[in-house]
Amino acid sequence: MTASLVHGDHVSCSRVGGGMRREASRLRQHAQSLEQAVGELTVRKGPEAEAARPAIVASWQALRAAADVLDEAGGALQRYATDLAEGHELGRRAELRVHSAGLLLDGTRVIEPWGPASAQEAERRCSQMPVVQARVDLATAHVGRARGRLARQMASLAEVLTAQALAAHALTAQALARLPATT
Amino acid sequence: MPAQHATDSTWLDGVAAELARSSAVALEASDELLAHYGDTGDATTQRAVDALVNQAAGTLSALSECLADSSRELQGA
Repeated sequence: MTASLVHGDHVSCSRVGGGMRREASRLRQHAQSLEQAVGELTVRKGPEAEAARPAIVASWQALRAAADVLDEAGGALQRYATDLAEGHELGRRAELRVHSAGLLLDGTRVIEPWGPASAQEAERRCSQMPVVQARVDLATAHVGRARGRLARQMASLAEVLTAQALAAHALTAQALARLPATT
Repeated sequence: MPAQHATDSTWLDGVAAELARSSAVALEASDELLAHYGDTGDATTQRAVDALVNQAAGTLSALSECLADSSRELQGA
């Protein structure tokens, strides 16, 4: 019944968001282990420690940064899932109002049904249309704002992730350059 | 005065092993992200979410590679 007014599945969005945050948490745990190793480097002296430092520090920072972005993206999806669930409920109530008023929905527009109706019935429907349309608009605007917010957050975080991928590729190239040739 | 230790190969091996584990976790996370689909209910929003998921998976894959190479670098130190 609500499918015609508010589309989307808040459960699947919440699941994806939760999955992102779980993976972010796992990555953070490993980042913490590397952070401890960096801490230990401060008391370890010598050429080996100095040689190892750049790779360990860069790995720790890259891992932590990726975990932070993933956690933020997961949180944004979970918030969207909550907004979408509220939108479904608002949509369900709006549709109930549409039907109880003897009106119909054409997409998100409230319309009068086709066919003959008494003058009294037509007048009653007509008078209710603005209020019922406002209920529908409330539901669609709620979801629309949530979608706009999510799309902006996803685009912004995707840019950060793109930069992180480029940085990771650069680190890989540096590490490979430092490795002794095997052939 | 803090104790100063020589950087022994055992310690470096331990860090290299942690880097290798981190690499494996990053790769698993990359696969995991692609295994699920969230239906946002709107084409524009869906494209933004799908693009982020794909980018996150790619970034984690690149990070996994980077961590694996750092691990090898330390093992060879």
